[in-house]
Amino acid sequence: MGADLAIVVLLGGIVALDGTSFGQFMISRPFIAGTLTGAAVGSPMEGAAVGAVLEMFQLCVLPVGGARFPEAGPAAVVATLAAGAAPGAGGLALACVLGLVWAEVCGASVIYLRLLNGRMVPDPAAGAVTPQKVMRAQFAALVLDFLRGALLVGVGAVVGILVTPRFALAWPLNEQWTLGLLAAGAAAPLGALLRTLGGLGRWRVAFTYGLVVGCIAVIVR
Amino acid sequence: MLGTGFAFALLPVLREAYGEDDAGLREAVGRHSDLFNSHPYLAPMALGAVAALERDRAASPLIERFKAAVRGPLGALGDRLVWAAWLPATLLLALVLYSAGVATWAAAGAFLLVYNVGHLGLRIWGFRLGLKVRNLLGEPLKNAGLVRLGDLAAAAATFLLGVLVPLLLLSGIVSGTRMLWGFGVLGALSMGLGAYHGAVTRKAAVVLLCFATFAILGYGLGR
Repeated sequence: MGADLAIVVLLGGIVALDGTSFGQFMISRPFIAGTLTGAAVGSPMEGAAVGAVLEMFQLCVLPVGGARFPEAGPAAVVATLAAGAAPGAGGLALACVLGLVWAEVCGASVIYLRLLNGRMVPDPAAGAVTPQKVMRAQFAALVLDFLRGALLVGVGAVVGILVTPRFALAWPLNEQWTLGLLAAGAAAPLGALLRTLGGLGRWRVAFTYGLVVGCIAVIVR
Repeated sequence: MLGTGFAFALLPVLREAYGEDDAGLREAVGRHSDLFNSHPYLAPMALGAVAALERDRAASPLIERFKAAVRGPLGALGDRLVWAAWLPATLLLALVLYSAGVATWAAAGAFLLVYNVGHLGLRIWGFRLGLKVRNLLGEPLKNAGLVRLGDLAAAAATFLLGVLVPLLLLSGIVSGTRMLWGFGVLGALSMGLGAYHGAVTRKAAVVLLCFATFAILGYGLGR
């Protein structure tokens, strides 16, 4: 478990960096972060399931400008570890809820990080801005973002590992009902995404074709 | 950090352009440390253009006016093309593959491959275009068809969303006619509310799901 936690903390830092500061190759997306974490700690099914649920909640969130938004990548890492600590329907439900809440905590921490970055950035009005100052500010910001992600994942993982197994056994619903509950909850953000894409007014033909293909896929499976 | 990041990325060009002129170099670095908030995948276009202008020692007011003029439009274009179209389209592809039973690593890998081909292609193309046309970005950008590309990606995303809905609400999750209709109706209502009210329903869905989970857990603990 100690080795798993170390891997997960490292992954949390990398995922936090990928979110905004470096690369943005989208390993910070919840589905990817959950899948990677699950593969790393031996809970691939839980990681993918938790990541998929959190991803559906995150799809309608647009990271535009200086907007504040939940940071679901590190949260998916935490939720995967929590789900792995308590496999089964109860673990999945509690891990998803923990992930959704932790995403808000991580998102709030980004605001504080931005304020801290603002203090580190050399101010041209205050004096000469040298290349060395710029490089120091850049690397310091990257290191801080990594440490922020690692710390948040570390704390969240400890909370998840301690709390989820204690309560998962008391979860009264079976897997099908639990997945149904999560799917019904995730449908609302998917509807919000539909609006963001242009809505049925603009893309009703594409959406209808999609529904037909989806229904055929369900029948054929 | 996009201001200081812009200066950081320009450092090699500025060092070459200003050579032994330390005061000029510091002034240029300071100039480029000001705010530059744009889309991260289209910012290389401005970076390429400014790199070409600085290499040719163009007048600093021209460079500053160019940066101020271009950052907003590039930001809006990038938001519309990438965050509101390309990203959801490729993520929905991954979720559809996963829901359809494709191996998780394949679904995740498909997303990362397809998304990053577009992502890196946009960065490289934008940087090269900026280097080539410098501050005369208007016409090439207009003729590049990025808005049309964004519309195509949004249409693809809507199609994939349509595919995902039955996979999510109808298949494998529930068994038995009553549960099927119950969750199907609940999910459809939920989605309808989301489509009508927009992103604010996400927060409501999170709160309701948390509340429902704790209530169900409470019931389980009390049994």
